[in-house]
Amino acid sequence: MSDDKPHAAGNIDAGDTSERVGMAVLRERGLDPEELREKLLDAIGAEFTTYYYYTNLRMHLAGHEDYKEITEDARLEDRAHFELVAPRVYELGGSLPNDIRDFADRASCPDAEMPVPYETEGFELDELTAESILEVLLEAERCAIRTWSEICDMTQGVDPRTYDMAQRILQEEVEHEAWFVELLSMERDGEINPAGHFVRGEPGDAPLSTNRRFNDSA
Amino acid sequence: MTEPATWTVELRVPDEADLDAAGESRTLEVREDQSILAAARSAGIWLSADCQQGWCITCAAKLLEGEVDHSNAKRYYPSDDEAGFVLTCVGQPRSDLVLEVEQYDELLRHRAEHDKPPGRSKLG
Repeated sequence: MSDDKPHAAGNIDAGDTSERVGMAVLRERGLDPEELREKLLDAIGAEFTTYYYYTNLRMHLAGHEDYKEITEDARLEDRAHFELVAPRVYELGGSLPNDIRDFADRASCPDAEMPVPYETEGFELDELTAESILEVLLEAERCAIRTWSEICDMTQGVDPRTYDMAQRILQEEVEHEAWFVELLSMERDGEINPAGHFVRGEPGDAPLSTNRRFNDSA
Repeated sequence: MTEPATWTVELRVPDEADLDAAGESRTLEVREDQSILAAARSAGIWLSADCQQGWCITCAAKLLEGEVDHSNAKRYYPSDDEAGFVLTCVGQPRSDLVLEVEQYDELLRHRAEHDKPPGRSKLG
């Protein structure tokens, strides 16, 4: 290797596929790539379970077509977040759990379950209100904001690739919170509390986080 | 209207914790309607946390003295209580407390030993 280009060498032997420079450079900068990888798995576990639970919540907003449309955007964008970061888990030497139950167990946010009991006949729909569903949606978004903020803190100035993903997701989660603050404010309190929301180009547009739009190789 | 009670909470930070206060003890006042985490962060002690809904266990601590209410936790098991683990993000004091903070790894192992999430899926 040329003495003029020390970055072309490093501690990994040429052709060694058992190591990844993409992980070594993080370690050299003080970030434990395995710890980050585990955190990412927890975070995308939450995105994936949220995608599932939002499907159920959306199905039960009959008569509130505007709420359904916005929940649909959030639902599909959470799936986009999972798909954006899943490749990063593999780049960091990890993989998705074989058992989906393990993936759900370790999700970093609570299950966004229907806010009424589920009995043998199904949900107790007599007790269900749009307000209670919006509260579940809002708290789910707030958890996601905290998670992705933590990951931004871990990676800022150290791991630009993960940071770029995390900050894109964080921006959309902040928008989702604003949407549900607006809807719950009116539904529960009769208050106008604007989200400053312009409609997505298409359902679940994920303007900042759709994987293929800026990452064709993933 | 009655003012909420306030309790004195001592936070013991392990030497190996990745906090400015590592190896030190900090004492703060926490209202009974306030989480320990929120009070600590307001006092400039940036304890680890993630979901802040009593689910992910990032904020775990060990109760050395006192009583904590966990009724706002999304996932807190009797076995956690019996072993003296506290989730500071939702835990509210019901007496003066002494806590050893930054106990995520310990609670994760405890959950795995009791076949409870997320320990069983992360360490199982």
